[in-house]
Amino acid sequence: MAHQNKTVDIHDEENYDPTVWVPKAHSHGTRALWKTFWLLLALTIIDVVLYFMMDPGMSRNVTFIILGIVKAAFIVYVFMHLTYEHKSLKMSIVLPMIGVVYLIVLLLKEADFWNYLNW
Amino acid sequence: MSNHAVSTKPTWAGGKSPFKISYGKLMMWFFLLSDAFTFSSLLVGYGAVRFSFPSAEESVPAEVQTWVKHNVVPFKTDNHEAFHDHGFVESMQMKGVFSESHWPAPDMVFNHFPGTHLHLPLMFVSLMTFILILSSVTMVLAVEAGQRMEKNKVQLYMLLTIVGGFMFLGCQAWEWTMFIGEGAKLFTNPFGPVTFAALFFLVTGFHGFHVFSGVVLNIIIYLNVLRGTYERRGHYEMVEKVGLYWHFVDLVWVFVFTFFYLI
Repeated sequence: MAHQNKTVDIHDEENYDPTVWVPKAHSHGTRALWKTFWLLLALTIIDVVLYFMMDPGMSRNVTFIILGIVKAAFIVYVFMHLTYEHKSLKMSIVLPMIGVVYLIVLLLKEADFWNYLNW
Repeated sequence: MSNHAVSTKPTWAGGKSPFKISYGKLMMWFFLLSDAFTFSSLLVGYGAVRFSFPSAEESVPAEVQTWVKHNVVPFKTDNHEAFHDHGFVESMQMKGVFSESHWPAPDMVFNHFPGTHLHLPLMFVSLMTFILILSSVTMVLAVEAGQRMEKNKVQLYMLLTIVGGFMFLGCQAWEWTMFIGEGAKLFTNPFGPVTFAALFFLVTGFHGFHVFSGVVLNIIIYLNVLRGTYERRGHYEMVEKVGLYWHFVDLVWVFVFTFFYLI
């Protein structure tokens, strides 16, 4: 077994052993990370400001959900490095989440009807 | 120890990593995807229940809203003369601001800040958000230092991340203490519909347990960094894997914050 051999090259794609293989790690710098931090902070402050500036209602709620999705996208793409991953991985993670967006729309519509029924 | 038979297999038959990442990291991604579905169900379920009730602005008479604005917003929440002998929550119930027939406005429920009795709506939870974002940054800095094999930096940033995690857990404990202290339980809620308190404890509790698990995982990895395990292994990918989990916890908080405190 390759992982019992101390001299095995863990990055070797030709001699691929799934138990030890890792791609070569390289840093992408810290600039984008700090930029994302300030962006997340700014969006959170905007959230709180909008809470008091906008009238309560559906348009304010939709604004909050959109801002939340923007924040989540920056966390996933920059902090979790999804932007540097292979396209197949990106698709495997992002595409299933579209179903959740559909779930939000579906259940909000449904809840509106429960309200109408005055359960 | 000559050539493996594995390498001759095609990519999708185990010959190479089709996603160009190690199997451990791939499984972490898929675990997080499934966890995202769990949290989505909880949060969207909360959203549905919340929208099935009318909001306070729709049910509370305009003159009461003006009274609240003039008496509560600029002043202290507890022991204020406008509430006479009643506390804040009881006065709000008597005015009809808190009632089982409509959902309370979050700024009237979450208005405490440690060390003061002032009405400071959403300020404490914003601080919690700030702490979690900051600990996310220190986590990703630890990952970045690991990619450059800088053990000392990884150590420092992992420690800061753990401290941030404990700070967040402390804040959440305080938040729960205030909410429970004012009478909110799983099956009773002086602020409004019972489902509001029940779902608050369920979802923030589930998220808080994720944070707790994350802190435990971070401590384990931190100790391994100290022992030089990853230096010997030749890569810091374990730091990346717990990093993924930690960022996911931050991501979920973004939506807990949005749904429970803003909507």
